[in-house]
Amino acid sequence: MKPAPFTYHAPASLERAFALLDEHGYDAKPLAGGQSLVPAMNFRLAQPAVLIDLNRLDRLAGIEPTDAGGLRIGAMTRQRALERDPRVARVAPLLAQALPHIAHPQIRNRGTLGGSLAHADPASELPAVMLGLGARLRLGGSRGERWLPAQEFFLGLFSTALEPGELLLEIEIPAAAPGSGWAFEEAARRHGDFALAGVAAGARLDADGRCRETTVVLFGVGEGPVPVPGAAAALAGRRPSAQRIAEAAEVVRSSLDPPGDIHASPAYRRRLAAVLTRRALTRAFDAAGKASA
Amino acid sequence: MIVKGEHAFSGRPELVWALLLDPEVIAKAMPGTRELALTAPNRYEGRMVVTIGPVTAAEFALVIMLEELAPPRRFVMRVDGNGRFGFTRGTARVELAANDGGTMMRYEADLQVGGKIAAVGQRLLDVVSRTLLRAGLAALGKELEHRLGDGDRP
Amino acid sequence: MTESPSWLGRRVPRNEDARLLTGRALFVDDVNPPGTLHVAFFRSDHAHALIRGIELGTARRRPGVVAAYTAADLGEFWQPGQLLVAPVPVEGAVFHAVTQGPLARGKVCCAGEALAMVVAESRYLAEDALADIQVDLEPLPAVGDLEAALAPGAPVIHQGLGGNLAARARQRKGDYEAARAAAHRVIARRFRYDRGVSGAIENRGIVAAWDPRAEELTVWDTTQAPIPIRNGLARVLGLRESQVRVIAPFIGGGFGPKIMMHYPEELLVPWAARRLGATVKWIEDRQESFFATTQERLQIHDAELAVAADGKILGVRDRFLHDTGAYDPYGLTIPINTQCTLLGLYDVPCYDSEFTVVFTNRPIVTPVRGAGRQHGVFVMERLLDFAARELGLDPVEIRRRNLLTPDRFPHDHGILFQDSAPLIYDSGNYAPLLERAAERVEYQRFKRETQPAARAGGRRLGIGIVSYVEGTGIGPYEGARVTIEPSGTVRVATGVGTQGQGHFTTFAQIVAEVLGVEVGRVEVVTGDTREFGWGSGTFASRGIVVAGTACHEAACRVRAKAVALAAEILGVAAEEVELASAGARVRGAPQRRIGLGELARRANPLRGAVRPGTEPGLEATAYFGPDRGSTAAGVHAMVVEVDPETALVAIRRYVVVHDCGRVINPAIVDGQIQGGVAHGIGNAFYEALAWDENGQLLNASFMDYLLPTALDVPTVEIVHLETPSPLNPLGVKGVGEAGAIPTAAAFAQAVEDALAGTGLEILEAPLSPNRLFELLQALPGAAR
Repeated sequence: MKPAPFTYHAPASLERAFALLDEHGYDAKPLAGGQSLVPAMNFRLAQPAVLIDLNRLDRLAGIEPTDAGGLRIGAMTRQRALERDPRVARVAPLLAQALPHIAHPQIRNRGTLGGSLAHADPASELPAVMLGLGARLRLGGSRGERWLPAQEFFLGLFSTALEPGELLLEIEIPAAAPGSGWAFEEAARRHGDFALAGVAAGARLDADGRCRETTVVLFGVGEGPVPVPGAAAALAGRRPSAQRIAEAAEVVRSSLDPPGDIHASPAYRRRLAAVLTRRALTRAFDAAGKASA
Repeated sequence: MIVKGEHAFSGRPELVWALLLDPEVIAKAMPGTRELALTAPNRYEGRMVVTIGPVTAAEFALVIMLEELAPPRRFVMRVDGNGRFGFTRGTARVELAANDGGTMMRYEADLQVGGKIAAVGQRLLDVVSRTLLRAGLAALGKELEHRLGDGDRP
Repeated sequence: MTESPSWLGRRVPRNEDARLLTGRALFVDDVNPPGTLHVAFFRSDHAHALIRGIELGTARRRPGVVAAYTAADLGEFWQPGQLLVAPVPVEGAVFHAVTQGPLARGKVCCAGEALAMVVAESRYLAEDALADIQVDLEPLPAVGDLEAALAPGAPVIHQGLGGNLAARARQRKGDYEAARAAAHRVIARRFRYDRGVSGAIENRGIVAAWDPRAEELTVWDTTQAPIPIRNGLARVLGLRESQVRVIAPFIGGGFGPKIMMHYPEELLVPWAARRLGATVKWIEDRQESFFATTQERLQIHDAELAVAADGKILGVRDRFLHDTGAYDPYGLTIPINTQCTLLGLYDVPCYDSEFTVVFTNRPIVTPVRGAGRQHGVFVMERLLDFAARELGLDPVEIRRRNLLTPDRFPHDHGILFQDSAPLIYDSGNYAPLLERAAERVEYQRFKRETQPAARAGGRRLGIGIVSYVEGTGIGPYEGARVTIEPSGTVRVATGVGTQGQGHFTTFAQIVAEVLGVEVGRVEVVTGDTREFGWGSGTFASRGIVVAGTACHEAACRVRAKAVALAAEILGVAAEEVELASAGARVRGAPQRRIGLGELARRANPLRGAVRPGTEPGLEATAYFGPDRGSTAAGVHAMVVEVDPETALVAIRRYVVVHDCGRVINPAIVDGQIQGGVAHGIGNAFYEALAWDENGQLLNASFMDYLLPTALDVPTVEIVHLETPSPLNPLGVKGVGEAGAIPTAAAFAQAVEDALAGTGLEILEAPLSPNRLFELLQALPGAAR
């Protein structure tokens, strides 16, 4: 379990990083927290000829409030920093609830938000959370920058909208609308394991206590984060009840075609997805109710 | 791992058959195939490089053999891929049936993945094989449509 | 001066911990002399294949590569390994010995078998060179399913045998058929217990250094048995035993597989060191360990229990298959342990047990903590649980009615144990174990109040109580040498190795007690063949019993010498001399005293004479070789909570009431039990090796092979009861494996109890939530 030989660069500026990416193309991999890439390299499953270490790019880390009451988070911000920041807990409770489920504190000390999103592992929590929050992502390279909504960023198994030469630079999380509630649920064998299935859920009630908006995004059950817009239909415009929440969970269960592996069969994943959806929506509506009060 | 399904093509079975046995077309159907050449009757050899997520440049030496040929209805394809990461072996039974002026291809494949990729990547084998299969079929379909669109040439 | 209390039974902080916790302890990977060369092995991906060719030219030409070898390059050095344990002489037993050579030759019989060895300037370069190696393997169908392996037409792994049957043996007592005919009920089930690895925190490693001037070979090895390794290496390398020194330094966990001697690597690394005249090093990485280190646990039992109407056991019949993997170097140890341990704490008048050992294309099976005892306990405890259910008895009650009573000891079961001696329990007092466990876990209150209240609130709690015996402390023998040094320090050397059991403290306590010194002044050396060259090793929970007793005996002899010399110097009779506070003194007149260090100096005169029949110094060596083992026992109780919707299970409480005879250091015994329970919980709930039908291992990493973490294992509540063993002067019994043995049985009972009323029966271990979900779905009335 020693990696294959590689050339190592640690650029001190973003411009230099872009230049290296352009020069080496598919031969190069950017290194963020390294918590996914380095083990893959040690297994020799990943053998990038060139490693471009982003850890000297201080400008890419940091948490700033936006004028609209949201947050702008640099891609190289450590997961542990997000976990400890009270602004994250206030502005993005969904993210705050999800972070302790990601591996262990030691991993989160190194792992970054941007790295996890760019890696796009189908069992990872953060892509689903970004969709749940309606986040926007800023991508950039030597040819310029662009913004992309989270749901357009994740294209499939380990596959994102990043073009060759591009890096994920920043993530913008909008302010939560009034009357919103959030809940994150995950089923895993051990604390910190890859999820067998998980849900990032959000709910918004109007002044009447009727459901204004529902978001249900699953992970660990497909090729990437799986939004289930049909779950919202059972609840739209009505008062949330145990019955209606159960219907939404059933929509999730029947719409999924999850993979099987040694830890969970497709049927078991469907069951977990349904149960977690029901529990998450119940908590989310509860929180929304309190937020409206 | 058993993978099965069906896919519809426009074009008569005889045309689809001929194209399916063309190494250039087969190469298109297996994403990452760098070379594929007919080295003996019904035997193709070549190289395939698979890149999925962090796994970059997983190179396999490929041997594909066609057996039990019953043109233009059915054949059996045996694939043997060997590389540093492990190996893959599969047998696919393919059947072509006339379908409304076109062809319905039905396949059933038994795929075995072994060695390092299986040992540390089992979590993703199901998803990866579906992804590769889907990509492969889409590419195959596109190639077939492209060639069939050039006129009714075998 | 006040008398200090006895060292025995005291929670003495461990002598070795300061070094371990500050990173000053030497482990094999810490050995890095300049110029060390590093080894990597090319291992087969295929589980069963013919070797058509191996091409090493490119690898050998890679800069930084010093050498590369295949079986052909070993010449006469290539030999099949020795049989480690002769098969227990069960009458009528069949045993075909097939052992593994150091590098695969002709064919590959399991995935991970080493085909070539590369020696290079660094492990990085050696792994780079592996990519250069071209191997032409012709895959053959692989077999892993035990019944399929025995079926006609199955692929044959070892041609000469004509089939995959490795062994068969049957042990019987009484007349089971008669018992069955007279039974009120016969409970029959098929049980399956599956494979796992030992999961030691430190993988294996070897550093071998050949000194051409001294003509000596020094080997650092993560072995549990340095002396047999030394003897074997000397033999195969054509050296004298005195030319070979094997050192087992601090080792991060043994659990059995590190005694599998000789592993191919244990032979090849020293061979290469000698051949290249260099220091050669190999450290196993975690992924390799899933293939290259031995494993254990797959058995399939078709068992039945014949019971009377009151729940009394009339007899047991068991037919089981045991997976030995591709080779069978360890004789019949594991299945015999299963046969013997099934009898448990119970009075079983009639028994008919037959096992068939099967070759499969999987890594070699040798004992892993528990060594086959788990399976026996699982079968018996589950059968009792099902019998209890059918008879309307409480699980604790049915056990209570079948326990052997104290007047039945020593109890001869009439069959043979793994040491080839008759299975005789030396001592035991079982009813208190069960009562204390039920009391400690508040069994009555749980069933009457806690459980129903939880159920009313939608929570499913369940409780399991099971019992087990552990045969410990078997021979052949161990030895120890105790020396009082002029500094007053006492030095103890013994041949066993230490992998975390606390020998540096417990052996010191034993010796300190005899010699009247502080435990901290006793320095213990283990695992170095130059220090002590006679013995076998650390296995089968025998360290404290066999080596500890040898330490005791040696200390007693030193005591006698010290007393005799002190009596002469102090001018009194020997009976009036006592050893206390690091000195010898006259009883009743403590001021008339001579320190032990001074005594040691006087015992080694520079002038004068040492009288014939005496020896200089205060030193003695003693050996202990019990003709049979001693039997420890215990009861585990466990409370679980099952989430009926997700099938996820959490362990809420774990109680162990345990009797390992006299306890030398309760803190260390607690540690053994806590660690054993962690192992047991892994066995029961998390750890499962997953193979596909082609012999491919699908989870060769800790991502997918799940070990319970500190967050998953509860703190075990431990109660010690002590029924001394009559077989050794200290009355001790072993405890190394106890925690791991009955956990799967307790888990199964507890989960069934939590889901009582569903008709769920758990007949397998391990049980994952995925599998529990599957079992629940198959029951009538299951929700979608």
